[in-house]
Amino acid sequence: MAILECNELVKTYGHAPALDHLNLSIEPGHILGLLGPNGSGKTTLIKLANGLLTPTSGQVLVNGAVPGKDTHAIVSYLPERTCIPLWMSTRKLLDFYQDFYADFRRDRAEEMLQHLSIRMDQTIRQMSKGTREKVQLIMVMSRAAKLYLLDEPIGGVDPATRDYILNTIINNYDPEAAVIISTHLIADVEQVLDEVIFINQGQVILQSSVDQIREEKGMSVDALFREVFKC
Amino acid sequence: MKWQFSNDAPIYSQLIEQIKVGIVSGAFPPGERLPSVRDLAVEAGVNPNTMQRALTELERDGLVYSQRTAGRFVTEDRGMIETAKQSLAEYQIQNFLTAMVRLGYEKEEIMTLVRQGNAGEELRNGDSGM
Amino acid sequence: MLRKLMKHEFRATARIMGPLFLIVLVPALAANLAIRFLLDSDVFLPNLLGGLLMAAFVIGMASLAIMSIVLMVNRFRTNLMGDEGYVTFTLPVSSHQIVWSKIIVSTVWFIATGIVEALALLVCFFDLDVMRNIFNSYYFHQALQALHELVKRYGLNVPAIAIELIVFCLLSCAVLCLEFYAAMAVGHSFANHKGALSVLFFFVFQFALQFISGLLFNLDEFQNMFYTGMNGMQDFHQMMAVLIGMELLIGAVYYVVTTLMLKKRLNLQ
Repeated sequence: MAILECNELVKTYGHAPALDHLNLSIEPGHILGLLGPNGSGKTTLIKLANGLLTPTSGQVLVNGAVPGKDTHAIVSYLPERTCIPLWMSTRKLLDFYQDFYADFRRDRAEEMLQHLSIRMDQTIRQMSKGTREKVQLIMVMSRAAKLYLLDEPIGGVDPATRDYILNTIINNYDPEAAVIISTHLIADVEQVLDEVIFINQGQVILQSSVDQIREEKGMSVDALFREVFKC
Repeated sequence: MKWQFSNDAPIYSQLIEQIKVGIVSGAFPPGERLPSVRDLAVEAGVNPNTMQRALTELERDGLVYSQRTAGRFVTEDRGMIETAKQSLAEYQIQNFLTAMVRLGYEKEEIMTLVRQGNAGEELRNGDSGM
Repeated sequence: MLRKLMKHEFRATARIMGPLFLIVLVPALAANLAIRFLLDSDVFLPNLLGGLLMAAFVIGMASLAIMSIVLMVNRFRTNLMGDEGYVTFTLPVSSHQIVWSKIIVSTVWFIATGIVEALALLVCFFDLDVMRNIFNSYYFHQALQALHELVKRYGLNVPAIAIELIVFCLLSCAVLCLEFYAAMAVGHSFANHKGALSVLFFFVFQFALQFISGLLFNLDEFQNMFYTGMNGMQDFHQMMAVLIGMELLIGAVYYVVTTLMLKKRLNLQ
């Protein structure tokens, strides 16, 4: 069964359609890139899959179900911004995730935190921006979810951290789960992806494997993106 | 082992080539057990599915074989490894010759340059060997 | 899940409410000492210090009452309408559970605040000569006597009255909270000026409430149900039942508005 499915999905804000009869089907076992310019509908799609928005018409299904508290239990979401409560300490945050998510692997999270020398009693507020993002990522990736939705996971971090994040994503690979990475930084993630989706003006304009694009078009996905979305 | 990727060729075929290089150069010795797909993927920084595809093709070519529970191993057939090494070498030579011809050199000039370059290299190596 | 939500609500709010309680209890103690030793002094400085301590106590009491509501409302805002909302609304819980956890925890804190305020008063006026004089005075005894007569004459069930009044007060606090929640949920469903609209909707709800209440209280049928001449406990119970019933109804309306907005028109930026 498709882990994420969209059928004639429409979402309008006022008069502007953010998603325009979007059709999509994603099978587990892949790491996908959701690629498109700003305003193409990437974030809207992710929010709909999370149940943070409701469709104007059409449907979005996660593992065959409408987004709600049951799908939240199998979806792990990394928002673009740091959204974890600032007043919590690392330890309290671990308690929080462990309490609410049955699939949270605390030992993995603690291992990663220790590896990055992040202290247990430090509050999120006291951490630098980069460290906060790492903590949030560690929490998200330490869940054994069926669908990971990562919104710009490597956007504002230094190259070494970028490598660490991509490393974590590969290491976390589960043939029964799908990882969707929404990003602008295509060149950096291209190797990690096996499939990409180009989205523009609320519609899917391309869904293909990375190698297929390289074979058929003779260029990288990054190059193809620049061509397709030339200003 | 350093993994390098270029933008135009499919990643899986680049992986095949680089693993082959690893095998013929001895980084993955004959009979050696290869790391798991996931570990190799992490090391190379690529998608595990892509790595899997590369390894499957290498299995098909016979350079690598898998034992159900034990994992994947480099072949012990040194003849096959030698053949692979030669075909990689031929490929490099072809590319080199094409590039030199594009610069405008004739076959004879190329051979002279190669011998000179090799002698110079040996001299430098000799010096540093002292 | 609801229990877990409440546990984390308490964890999040106790770190502020706890210190607040101290801010009232410590000045209460200081006020007690001030009354004993400082306020009767002929020297200016102790007198001034005593006055300041009393003022601190009064301010502390008032602050606690106000802050407890402010805090509960702010908690809703930061946890649901801000960046934290991205975490809260992707938890495997329903919006009903989220709202209930907030209401229950807020109500518990209101109860706690009430108890702490009473305690503070007790501490402030504990074992003081001036209190002893009041309690032993003729007038105080007369007042008690009069109250006693009243209770006997009307057959007043004092414990029942106390309980019903307390329940009504708590319910009103919870409903007030819900009014804030509903206003914020509606205000934040718009794209711009979320804060301003939230405030606006609060006043809209207030106005609507006053208006409808006004209309209701002018209806004869309603008046008959409500004002029954106060001839004893039966009438008091009836009046309280009506009041409590109305609060429950209003609360239910706010609850539905809040959960509906959060479920259908959540608009996290």
